Amino acid sequence: MSAAALALAGPQHGGDPAAAASAAAQAAAAAGSSPVFWAIVLGYFALVLGFGGYFARWNRTTTDFFFGGRRFAWWLITMSIVATGVGSHSFLKYSSKGFEHGFSSTMTYMNDWFFMPLFMFGWLPIIYFMRVRSIPEYFERRFNRPVRILATISLLLYMLGYIGIGFLTMAKTIQPVLADTLGWDLMTIIWVVAAVAGIYITFGGQTAVIFTDLLQGFILLFAGLALFLLGLGWFGGLGAFWDALPADFKLPLAAFNDDPGFNFVGIFWQDAVAGSIGFLFINQGLIMRFLACRSVDEGRKAAAFNVLFMMPISAIAVGCAGWIGRGMVTTGDLPATTAPDSVFTLVTAMLTSKAGFGFFVAAVTAALMSTVDTLINAVAAVFINDVYRLIRPGRSDRHYLRAAMLVSAGATVLGVGAAWVFTHYESVYEAHGAFHSTLTPPLVTAILLGIFWRRFTTAGAVATFVLGAAAIVAGRLWPTTLIAPFSHGIPAVGDHPYSYIGALYNLVACFGAAVVVSLFTRRRPDERTEGLTIWTLDAARRAFKGGEPNDRPGARLPVHWRIEPALPAGTVQVDREAQAGLAADPGDLVYLRDRRWWLGGLRSVHARLHAEPHAEGGVVLVAPDVAADGHFLPGRMLTAEKEI
Amino acid sequence: MDFTRVWLPYLYLYGVGGLFFFASLALVARAGAFSPADRRWFRVLWLGFLWVAGLHAAGNLAALWL
Repeated sequence: MSAAALALAGPQHGGDPAAAASAAAQAAAAAGSSPVFWAIVLGYFALVLGFGGYFARWNRTTTDFFFGGRRFAWWLITMSIVATGVGSHSFLKYSSKGFEHGFSSTMTYMNDWFFMPLFMFGWLPIIYFMRVRSIPEYFERRFNRPVRILATISLLLYMLGYIGIGFLTMAKTIQPVLADTLGWDLMTIIWVVAAVAGIYITFGGQTAVIFTDLLQGFILLFAGLALFLLGLGWFGGLGAFWDALPADFKLPLAAFNDDPGFNFVGIFWQDAVAGSIGFLFINQGLIMRFLACRSVDEGRKAAAFNVLFMMPISAIAVGCAGWIGRGMVTTGDLPATTAPDSVFTLVTAMLTSKAGFGFFVAAVTAALMSTVDTLINAVAAVFINDVYRLIRPGRSDRHYLRAAMLVSAGATVLGVGAAWVFTHYESVYEAHGAFHSTLTPPLVTAILLGIFWRRFTTAGAVATFVLGAAAIVAGRLWPTTLIAPFSHGIPAVGDHPYSYIGALYNLVACFGAAVVVSLFTRRRPDERTEGLTIWTLDAARRAFKGGEPNDRPGARLPVHWRIEPALPAGTVQVDREAQAGLAADPGDLVYLRDRRWWLGGLRSVHARLHAEPHAEGGVVLVAPDVAADGHFLPGRMLTAEKEI
Repeated sequence: MDFTRVWLPYLYLYGVGGLFFFASLALVARAGAFSPADRRWFRVLWLGFLWVAGLHAAGNLAALWL
């Protein structure tokens, strides 16, 4: 029976489980031998690459390349962040848990608000005003170079783990499709996926990444929600779908401590605490997105809107295939023994035509490919800039570029190794949970105490990484002795006990080492850490502006513009009336953007206000480099406002 | 479904999570990083907390009653 025929047939209540299993597998496998399916998949990949290539031409400087030029509006960054949250390994992972446990698969998308005050008023202003471009850079500025190296090692392991999760997820997504056609086993598919990732070309820079993710974020949300509607149609409406779910599956939070494979309290510490801080504070991709915002306030808006509205919607998009699959078990259209990690692919194949299935598989694998590719590039960038340049300084750019390519190849192979380790876990979700709860606590501890505790010393930071790592390894070796006291009654079973609640033990060990060692060692003088802790944010704002901040409220003004070649680079000049309206003083930073809001800041620039106002009313005079950086179009009016 | 299965995770999430939330709010206020420009964000922060707590409570009640 083809996928389309199945979709038309609707629920076959009380069907034979063996026949249902066969139908679901056939629907997925039939797509794998269909030219239409592969044409859609390859066409989609080409579209995404072309889209990224178009926006690559907006890069003029390395700041543009890495950070998008600090110009974008909050809503554009929000949608771009959605692709990071939804596009990675989420569809397969959360559909799997939705199939096993119901609506509680949404837990991890709904618990990120608790640390928002620390992010909005601590970390975000620090990275923005102090122009912190990477986590290792923060550690060197806050502590010293050895701490930077320790943080770099932790971060590289963290990113390699994510590459492994990405490879495994991609392989598991397409495994049901290739099962009949090629008959490859999982590890063979992982190697093929890794080879494709190696030749998948990343077009230039952060602006391209932001816009590619913007496109993919929209498509993935649309695909997920469309799948939910198709599922409701399959059941004949929301009421029938609701009735098909077991009562326990309708609860939004998992059982407290019953199930070692999915328990509320373990996931609270692994995800709501370590994971949320990891996502907001140490995810390099996310840091670069926030640095691309046009101001700290826009970054706050992006973060708040994302957590409060986009994450709950995303939770439905990524988990609904599992809920629909569970309903299909009730109606006899899917066997209860279906492998949870294959539910997303099987349910999608059953609900859509071959072309539709091609679109879904392409959307998910292209997003995964982008994520993995970004991570491989990030590993190369971190290794070259934070390790290799220290060992081999002063070489040519060409030498470093060649080294980066070798590192990328090495990262790909190590990612395959990590994927092999993760295949030994019950599901992608558990593999990810275990890896996350192991690797994030030292980084999370060091960054939180670094930002919020002035007394945190360099020796304390070293102890966090070294003693913390030793305690984590000990916890893995003797879980029933060391982690059991923190277990909240979760039973210790299987080869990997305490996958999630291990995060609590790891956090306690890291915080303990950090605090005890800091109390017995000498802290750095305050002037060495100015602007790098929340206690000295005024210094960060002064450093950003290069002078005393001007906080007088000003207006947004519509202005005409023209180039004034005599102006110094990076400056603009306004008339006296506009200067009063902006409440700006000479030397203040102002923000100019094309008046069309829907461009999201694509045509915009920050510049410094020139010393003397001019006499030409309603016109802003801009230096030639400012006009070029802002990509302003002749004849188009601008909006001007004071930034700081 | 018994009370513990439905409400123990909820009370733990907003008890311990709430402790983190209000402690971090107090910390940034004490550091002077946050205290007119901040008033709107203060409102967003506590309304956001009520919003996510309300979503989870609504989910629990829907599972019990519908």
